[in-house]
Amino acid sequence: MRAGQIITAACTMLLAGLMLMGCGGEGDKPAQTATTGSESQADTSPIRVGGLIDLSGPTSSVGVPYADGLRAAVRYINDNGGIGGRPIVFDLQDTAYNVQQGLSLYKKMVNTDKVVCIQGFGSAVTEALVRTQAKDQVPNFSASYSAHLTDPRTAPYNFFISADYSTQLRAALKYFRSQWTEARAPKVAFIYPDHPYGLAPIPAGRAYATELGYEIVGETNVALNAIDATTELLPLKNKAPDFCWVGGTTPSTSVILKSAKNIGMTSVFFTNIWGTDETLPALAGADANGSFSNQAAAVYGKDVPGMKIIEQITGGKPQMTHYVRGFVSILTMAEAMKRAADKGAVTGESIKDAAETLRDYDPMGLAPLISYFPDDHRPNMAVLLYTIKDGQLTFVAEEILDRRADWLGH
Amino acid sequence: MQGKCGLFFTSYRGEARIFRSGFQKLMVGLFILALLAAPLALNIHETSVMNLVFIAVIGAVALNLLTGVCGQISLGHGAFIGVGAYAAGQCTLHGVPFPLAILTAGLITAMVGMVFGVPSLRLKGIYLAIATLAAQLVLEFVFLHGGALTGGSSGLLLDPPTILGFVFDTEARMYYLLLFFAAAALLMVANIMRSRYGRAFVAIRDYYLSAEIVGVNLFWFKLVAFGVSSFLAGVAGGLWAHYTGYISAEQFNIGLSISYLAMIIIGGMGSVLGSVFGAVFVVLMPEALNALANSLSAAFPGISQSLVALREGVFGLVLILFLIFEPEGLVNRWRLVKAYWKLYPFAH
Repeated sequence: MRAGQIITAACTMLLAGLMLMGCGGEGDKPAQTATTGSESQADTSPIRVGGLIDLSGPTSSVGVPYADGLRAAVRYINDNGGIGGRPIVFDLQDTAYNVQQGLSLYKKMVNTDKVVCIQGFGSAVTEALVRTQAKDQVPNFSASYSAHLTDPRTAPYNFFISADYSTQLRAALKYFRSQWTEARAPKVAFIYPDHPYGLAPIPAGRAYATELGYEIVGETNVALNAIDATTELLPLKNKAPDFCWVGGTTPSTSVILKSAKNIGMTSVFFTNIWGTDETLPALAGADANGSFSNQAAAVYGKDVPGMKIIEQITGGKPQMTHYVRGFVSILTMAEAMKRAADKGAVTGESIKDAAETLRDYDPMGLAPLISYFPDDHRPNMAVLLYTIKDGQLTFVAEEILDRRADWLGH
Repeated sequence: MQGKCGLFFTSYRGEARIFRSGFQKLMVGLFILALLAAPLALNIHETSVMNLVFIAVIGAVALNLLTGVCGQISLGHGAFIGVGAYAAGQCTLHGVPFPLAILTAGLITAMVGMVFGVPSLRLKGIYLAIATLAAQLVLEFVFLHGGALTGGSSGLLLDPPTILGFVFDTEARMYYLLLFFAAAALLMVANIMRSRYGRAFVAIRDYYLSAEIVGVNLFWFKLVAFGVSSFLAGVAGGLWAHYTGYISAEQFNIGLSISYLAMIIIGGMGSVLGSVFGAVFVVLMPEALNALANSLSAAFPGISQSLVALREGVFGLVLILFLIFEPEGLVNRWRLVKAYWKLYPFAH
C-alpha cells in the first residue's frame, strides 16, 4: 500500500474517532448558572446578561439610545438590590447589524461567559439566533418586533415588550376607523420599504383594513435611504387616500412627509414604531406636524412612576423613546428573573418559564401592561398613538385590540 | 526546472503536483492533524469561530476561482450563497437527505450563476461588476418575495444537518462537517487550477484576446467559471443555512458580497491559499478588535465604545492599506516569509 493511502486511512480513522468524541462534548446546558435552589438563598454571584445591539451599523442611530436605556435600567436594578441580592452583569456588545458578528458574539456570551439571557436588537441578528437560542435555552428580549417572533412554536425563547409590527398597524387602523365620520369608506394606502422590516406587517394590514371596511387605494415602496419620494407619492396622490401608512425609519419618514407636502398631499400619515421618534420634527420640520405614530413606551417627561426614575438617572436630560423601551425591556427581564429566583435557580429555561407567568405586569407606567403565555408571546395588544404637535410627540390614545388567536405570529 | 533547493522536476506532471516535496507533505499532514485535534483544545466559542472560518473559506475560494483566477469580477456572490442556502433549506424541508440537499443546492446555484454569467461574454471589468450587482439585487428581491419558497420576510427555519441519522447539532460536530467541506472545496479548486480548465481561466484573465487566439472558447470557459464558482457558493450557502438554522433575505445582501471580495483581495487574488488567509483574516478581525476593546476597557473604560465605532473604519483602512502596500495579498507576504527562511542567513 502506498504511503499516501496509509495516511488517508489514518486520517479518516482519526476523524471518525474525534467526531465520536465531539458527540458528547457539549452535553451540559451552556446557559446554566451554578446555583441551585438551596444555594441561591445566600448567593450573591452575578447574573450575566448579554447585549447584542447595533451600535455602529445602519440602525445605530436608534441602537445607541436603546442601549443607553438598557444600561441605565441595569444600573437601576442593581442599585435596588439586584435579583434577590444578585447583581446583573451586563455585557453589551456591538453587532453592527452583521449576522456573522452577532452569531459569533452570541456564542461567546453563552458558551464562554455563561450569560443566561440576551437583550437583542435588529431583525437580521435576532432572527438568525432564533434556532440557536431555542437549542441553548437562552431567552432573547429583543427589539425586533416582527409578529412571527411572538409565536412560541417558531421562536420559543423570544420575548419583546412592544406590540408587534402587525398589531401596531392593526391598532392604528382600528383607531382611525373609529374616528371616521363620513358615510363613504375611508381610503388607505401603504408606503413601505421593500425590506423584511417594511414588508412584515403589510399582509396583516391589508387583511385587517379590508375587514374594517377600508378601501385600499394603493401601495408604494420608498427605500429606507431615499432622499426624495415624489415619484413614488405622485400616483398615490391621484388616488387621494385619507390615510397613508409609513413603514420605514425616521429618515425615510421625513423624506416622505416632505415630499408629500411638496406635492400637496393632504392625507393623514401614520408610521410604524421606528418611523417616528424625537428626531423627526428636526428632520422634517413643520411637515412632521399632524403625522401620527405608533409607540410602545411613554415619551420622556410623561407623568408616570417610571419616568421619575429615568429623569433622576438622566439628570433631567431628555431621552428618546427608544431609551425608554430599552429601560422597559430590562425591567421586564428583571421581573422574570426575580420570579425565577424565587422558585430556584436562575437559568435561561427558568427565566423563560417565569416570563410566561407574567400577567399584566406594569413596567412602572412606562409601557402598556405586559403578559406572556406559554403558547403566546405577544406582550400585549395595546398600542400608544402619538401625534406630532408643534414639534413635540403628543399622546393621543391607547388602542387595545382583542388577543385574537388567528393573529398570533402574523 | 528547479523548484525548491535540491528538488528537480523531470516531468510536467511532477511540477504540477500540489505538494512538491516530502517536507511540504509532512507539514500539511501535521497541519491536518492539528486541525482534526483542534476542537479538543478549543472552547465552544472558538470552535464556532472556526466554523464561520470554514464556511467563509468555501465562499472565498469559490469567488477567487471566478474573480482571481478567471478575472470575472462578481458583486453578486453573496446572493449566490443565498440561493444555495434557500435551495438546501427547501430540499431538507422536503425530506431530501442532507448530503443530497447540499449537492442539489450547489447544482441549482451553478445554474443560476451560469444564467447571470451569460453577459460575461460581452461585458468586462466594471460593466460585468454592475451586471453581477444587478444579479445581487434581482436575487435579493426573489428572496424577499419568494412566498413559501423563501418564507418571504419571515425567512425559513431549518434543522441541523443529519447524515445517516447522525445529527450535527453541536459546534464540535459541525466543525468536522465544515472542515470536510472546506478541505474538499480547496482540493477541488486547487485541482481545477492545475487542469486544462485552470490554464484556460488564467489565459482569459491575463488577456482574453490571446486566449481566444490560442483556441480557448471564451464563452464556454467563462460560463464554466461562473458555474463552478456558483456551485461552491451554493455549497457554502447550504452549510451556512443549516449551521444557523435560520435564513432570511437580510443575510445575503450586498454587504456579504463585498465582504467576500475583501477576503480575496486581502488574501491574494488567484490563489487557493490566499482564499484561506483572506477568510481567516476577515472573520477573525472583528474578534480581534473585540478582544482588544475588552482588554483595554479595564484600563480605559470608554475605549470599548470608541473602538466599536472605529471597527468599520479600521476594516476599510486595512483594505486600503492592503491595496497600496500588498496588492498581491497575504499570500505574497507568506511567500516572502518562506523565501526568507529558505535563504536564511543569505539575503540573496
